[in-house]
Amino acid sequence: MGRVKFLCDVERCIDCGGCVVACKEGHHIPVGVNRRRVVTLDSGKETEKSISVACMHCADAPCIAVCPVNCIYERADGVVLVDKKACIGCGYCFMACPFGAPQFPKGAVFGARGAMDKCTFCAGGPEENFSKEEKSLYGQNRIAEGKVPLCSGMCATKALLAGDADVVADVYRERVFQRGSGANAWGWNRAYKKKS
Amino acid sequence: MNDMRHAKSLIFIGSNPPEAHPVSMQHILHAKEKNNAPIIVVDPRRTKLAAKADEYVRIRPGTDAAFMLGLINVIVAKGWEDKEFIRTRVSGYEEMLEVAKKYTPEEVEDITGIPAEQTYKVAEMLAKNRPTSLTWCMGGTQHTIGSSITRTFCILQLVLGNMGKSGGGTNIFRGHDNVQGATDMCILSHSLPAYYGLSDGAWKHWCRVWDVDYDWMVGRFKSKEWMNKKGFTLSRWFDGVLEGEDKIHNGGTSVKALIQWGCGSNSNSRFHDVKKAYNKLDLLVVVDPFPTSAAALCETDNVYILPAASQYETQGSVSSSSRQIQWRYKVVEPVYDSKDDYDIMKEFVTRLGFADQYYKNIKQVPEDITRELGSGSLTIGYNGQTPERIKKHMENWHTFDIDTLQAKGGACDGEYYGMPWPCWTEEHPGTPILYDISKPVNEGGLPFRNRFGDVATYAMSGRVENQLAAKGTCNPRSVVQGGYSEFKEVVPGTNWKTDLSQKTIKEALSKGMAPFGNARARCIVWTFPDQIPIHREPLHSPRPDIVERYPTYKDKADHYRVDTRYESEQAKNNDIVKNFPYTLTTGRQVEHMGAGAETRSNKYLCELQPEMYAEINPKLANDLGIRDGGMVTVESPEGGKIKCKALVTERVDETTIFLPYHFAGSWEGESYADQYPEGNEPWAVGDSGNVITNYGYDIITQIQATKDGLCKISKA
Repeated sequence: MGRVKFLCDVERCIDCGGCVVACKEGHHIPVGVNRRRVVTLDSGKETEKSISVACMHCADAPCIAVCPVNCIYERADGVVLVDKKACIGCGYCFMACPFGAPQFPKGAVFGARGAMDKCTFCAGGPEENFSKEEKSLYGQNRIAEGKVPLCSGMCATKALLAGDADVVADVYRERVFQRGSGANAWGWNRAYKKKS
Repeated sequence: MNDMRHAKSLIFIGSNPPEAHPVSMQHILHAKEKNNAPIIVVDPRRTKLAAKADEYVRIRPGTDAAFMLGLINVIVAKGWEDKEFIRTRVSGYEEMLEVAKKYTPEEVEDITGIPAEQTYKVAEMLAKNRPTSLTWCMGGTQHTIGSSITRTFCILQLVLGNMGKSGGGTNIFRGHDNVQGATDMCILSHSLPAYYGLSDGAWKHWCRVWDVDYDWMVGRFKSKEWMNKKGFTLSRWFDGVLEGEDKIHNGGTSVKALIQWGCGSNSNSRFHDVKKAYNKLDLLVVVDPFPTSAAALCETDNVYILPAASQYETQGSVSSSSRQIQWRYKVVEPVYDSKDDYDIMKEFVTRLGFADQYYKNIKQVPEDITRELGSGSLTIGYNGQTPERIKKHMENWHTFDIDTLQAKGGACDGEYYGMPWPCWTEEHPGTPILYDISKPVNEGGLPFRNRFGDVATYAMSGRVENQLAAKGTCNPRSVVQGGYSEFKEVVPGTNWKTDLSQKTIKEALSKGMAPFGNARARCIVWTFPDQIPIHREPLHSPRPDIVERYPTYKDKADHYRVDTRYESEQAKNNDIVKNFPYTLTTGRQVEHMGAGAETRSNKYLCELQPEMYAEINPKLANDLGIRDGGMVTVESPEGGKIKCKALVTERVDETTIFLPYHFAGSWEGESYADQYPEGNEPWAVGDSGNVITNYGYDIITQIQATKDGLCKISKA
């Protein structure tokens, strides 16, 4: 299999926030910590677009490169995870991340920071699968249960795809093919300001 | 709803599914992607749906009928109407067209603000991309002329020949879970269940179903005439409290007690008057999983809160917008002191002393309830969906096709998922598309219903027209090749609606015919004040010049027990518009639901949408010195006043203010969260948008006109 990946199909994302709430409810994440967010550009204008963003589980993750205590690591399937018990909450990963993914709880023992929290791809953490400790630190481990992440499972329009990147690419390719090609293609009028 | 995947174009008017019906978007986007179907959005706001649209049409609130009649006018002028469909299945067409002709695109531009070229463009998009799926929601209905507006939507689809076709039709999305079921059971004051009305015949029918003595039922009323009289509506109950017993038509008494059962109070318009009524009641009972704003706002001690279980703590049948019936199973037992609705009802009925009459056919709850209501609801074919069949569908989900909703093989072979009503018999597969004559009736086909006589003479033209479908127009395998009347006297003294033995229905089906006949869809409704729908200005209009040309109705006395002002209210408009120059419209947010009692009690939803706001256009905001995020005061002509934040956005135009209606828990900026029972205060509180919604009620249904009022806004 390939690496696991998210893909948000912006033509389908309707900014409903279902992914955000599913993630928070499923993992009991504190208010103020957002493993996932929907970003909307040009709200209320003709060019309005929305996209759901979380940790992208990068292949050459900048957060791993900059972490001074080596608490961020990559699993064989490509999921990037943090060992919260080793994290010092310095925020270097936050500076390095191109997506604003790392989150820091408010008012914890480390002051404004505390251990970094981010999207786990619903794969828990370094602790034993399904252990109490894993659940309290990272939330559910749906990957170990053989399930897709909560956010994409919830997505009403199937905009947010998650899983083996090869399979995600197949789903997306099929969708693009279905949208037609040439003068009949969806988006043609936007690209060329006219319709066949 | 899945059938929208077959649409070749989609038009949404007064409907914003990304906020109100997000799950439906998968089917809508499917039609867009697979069929290259253009999406047309007609709305005062550039909504999230408009962000996905091919054509956005900004319309002045309350002028939908004018736009629809303008589209019909252009379509017919260009020869794009479906002539064969109109010839065989539509009545009153010529008279309707005479009216529509007055709505030229130029006139439509003046009324609606939609450029004439855009009316031509939309008409062409609809004509060249058939079938069109047309969707409306509360943006179409909540007007004084809501009942006319919705008819123009249907007439447009008749003119285009899009009714009764896969990918076509009018797909009205309901506002809440199981609202279709609640409507079918007529949790309303003008009819017994299944649209039987309030006639003596209707009462006798249901008394037979319930196995209750008719005379006993008569004895429950003050006098028999009250059995046939419509009750109060949700939109006006508080006027029954406030106006005084001599001003209303309620047998000489004011409304003294109120039970709000799963009903959010701040979805009522003129909410500042609603608050006064709560304080004047002798008794207020709130039955809800969450204490609603009613419980917190009422300042007297006459309030009882009964904790109801949520949908996960009970079970039973529910009906969707698509007329499909599903079974919902219990996940957990009711938590803490809560009870499910069946148990609460049982406690009431037992204490009120008529449990012996109430439960005659109901031994197993809730299966016997579904069985009893189905056996009586013959008008809409609720009789074929037994609890056993519904559960069988739930267990065989995977066998149903996502496009057609028909099961291929397996235990439900050939049936449509949820057996959309009418499902005439226990062998019938359900009717996935209403009025579809391409399929036999036994296989889910249906003609238009013969409900209003076989022949009609029109007042406006003197023309006499046969109301039955044309010769040769019928479902395949129909014994009568053409229109036919409804079935009656198969069992002497009964018709298809009242024959509880269901022999009449079976007789019709055995002939490949619909029990309710095969008629034409009417453009003329001779019992309505506007027999052919026309535009009439809202009571409070930003365009006094148009009011003169399109005035509202005469005042209506005893409209659901209260007098209702139309022309006398509109007469004040010239003064009102001077001080309240901006159009007010309301709507939903995806994060919150209805009056928000449930969703504002969820911290994650509140994190996403924590505050009440008023949407205002950047130009208007700058002209009035209002900054994004700054506090504003919004006021209604009736004296309602709220304080909230300004959200400066181009979603609204320079003359329109938009308010979401989900908030409660503060009044003129002051929180009353401490009035909720301890530990039950909502996470998000805000002033209620409905404090600002204006007086105004539909002439037929009395639905509140929340979408087209006037307001003023200023920096707080």
